[in-house]
Amino acid sequence: MRPYFSFAIILFGILISQAQNKQLLYNVNGLPQSLLNNPGANVNFDGHIGVPLFSKFHISTGSSGVNLFDIFDETNVDVNKKVSAAIRRLTRNDYFTLHQQLEILSFGWRLNNGQYLSAGVYQEMDMFAYFPKDPALLVNEGNNAYLNVPFDFSDVSFTGEIMTVYHLGINKRISNKLTVGARGKLYSGIFNVASTNNSGRFITRDDPNSPNFYRHYAENIDIRVNTSGYASLNNSGMTVQESTADLLKRSFFGGNIGAGIDLGATYNLADNLRITGSVLDIGIMFQQHDVENYLYYGDYETDGIEPLFPDVAPNDNTIPYWDLFEDEVDKNLKDETVNENYTTWRPVKFNAALEFGFEEMVEICDYRRTYKRRNYNLIGVHLFGVKRPRTMNYALTTYYDRKFSNNFRAKISYTVDDFSYYNIGLLVSTKIKKFNFYIAADNLAGYFNLAKSQSASLQLGMQFIFKKQ
Amino acid sequence: MSFVKLLKTPILLLLFCAVMLSCVKGVDLDQTEEIALTPDLQVSLLVFDVTSVDFIDKDTGEFTAIIRDTVRLEFLDDSYIQDDLSTVEFSFRYTNSFPQSFRNKISFLSENDRVQHFLQFDIAQGEKVNPVVTDWVEFIENERIDVIKRSIQMVVEIEVIPNENPFEGELKFESKGLFSFEF
Repeated sequence: MRPYFSFAIILFGILISQAQNKQLLYNVNGLPQSLLNNPGANVNFDGHIGVPLFSKFHISTGSSGVNLFDIFDETNVDVNKKVSAAIRRLTRNDYFTLHQQLEILSFGWRLNNGQYLSAGVYQEMDMFAYFPKDPALLVNEGNNAYLNVPFDFSDVSFTGEIMTVYHLGINKRISNKLTVGARGKLYSGIFNVASTNNSGRFITRDDPNSPNFYRHYAENIDIRVNTSGYASLNNSGMTVQESTADLLKRSFFGGNIGAGIDLGATYNLADNLRITGSVLDIGIMFQQHDVENYLYYGDYETDGIEPLFPDVAPNDNTIPYWDLFEDEVDKNLKDETVNENYTTWRPVKFNAALEFGFEEMVEICDYRRTYKRRNYNLIGVHLFGVKRPRTMNYALTTYYDRKFSNNFRAKISYTVDDFSYYNIGLLVSTKIKKFNFYIAADNLAGYFNLAKSQSASLQLGMQFIFKKQ
Repeated sequence: MSFVKLLKTPILLLLFCAVMLSCVKGVDLDQTEEIALTPDLQVSLLVFDVTSVDFIDKDTGEFTAIIRDTVRLEFLDDSYIQDDLSTVEFSFRYTNSFPQSFRNKISFLSENDRVQHFLQFDIAQGEKVNPVVTDWVEFIENERIDVIKRSIQMVVEIEVIPNENPFEGELKFESKGLFSFEF
């Protein structure tokens, strides 16, 4: 066991974060949703059909550096001091996330050859924004206290997307030890916004060699905000009904499309020890419809407006200094709106877990079923990562999963992430005959006072799960 | 089985309670109404450098003791100034290497050329090898800020105070505004 403990200790050593982490549903092989987290999961059922619109609802939100209490603490009345303190304390790598999934359709069945097919449709929203540290400082405090200090516009980085995902997956047992799976996905984009890889600095210098008190510099400004599915809603003057119809149309491939794949595998090192892994949403979106891009770029520096004395031009007209200044600025700092297609990559995710079982149980043998849960108790360690514009964000979870009976299962987890070092999560899954209901919540301590919590996550759903006797 | 039944209900209840009875405590969300952004922006205004040549009338070729120029500051009419400007601190600096002193007048005019704010100060006599700096700070507090909000033009007028010394040198002007906002 020593190598496994070493592995776990190394993983614990990584201080990490989460974003779209669904650690409570990962490796829960009795639930069809585990196939969405790992298409190569060892599923122990033979068919499932979700209650339409109710088979899975997931929402999670997180803020890595600030919570509601930091700003609105009722014992400290000066809210502006608290806002300023928060802005100073947050870094450009702090971030805010909002993620939501609603499963519309979900079903699956085991083929005669033992493979398990699963398919469905879900709607997904994913919003992610780094804290724009320098622009926030500039807006909140101005440049007076930051002479000679650059305000870096590369701090501006955010993405957002709303889409409908159509998927079909297959799960195949290769041997007693290895199960693999893959899921193909078609994305139907509803809305997208992306502003990453921005650059540029604004500096006010009090250089004694410059002719005025200050010289203002806008250097290497290159800011781009790509949008799709936004311009028509923003500019068309459509009614709410028309907008709703338009959004529905986009859900059915009436807008931007993309494709992706999930891959996953489970390898049984021993009867009671397995490793699992998956890579999700290796996918691309082609943003070609209703695209609008907002660009701001260029370089400029100024000492102020320089009057020429006297204030008349050779043709005896007053010199329009301000207009000349504005023309100069406009010539050097371009502000454009264009319609250029662009592509976006889905935020790829990976999961890796090591799981150990104990307290053996007896279950009816079926050679076609890829997995028989042989232990009442499972403990594991699970590493999750998601690609974000600047870096991968990680979360590390340990969990204890207990099957109390054929109809009742619970899983408790402890997750270390950017939001909390005290994230205790709980999942319960219960069955009444074929009907299954599950609910999972993260960061339970945070629910007692959401104001002090930096993250919250909730998943629940209901479905029918079929098992051959 | 009885053990399972014993546990099942409390665990489900615990989870439901945690989620459904979650609450927000110890915060006063009414404070959102008090949130204000209060940036202090340092902005360069006018800058110039005049020599004796600038005191020669371009049309007549004769010396003139007074020169002036007018610059429209269109940004003073923008909504963020009109709605959210609370105070302004103007700083003016002359660096004079003329062996004469000057009288300086700075006026802020409205669209119809009515004076909204006026200031005047003397620029100390300098030396060619040892320019003299004259600084002037003009603070417009919140009670008087409308004089700036009503302004759109800034007029600078310089009048040389003649003496027996030769009229040769350089007069540099620097100006900035510290605009304090409350959004």
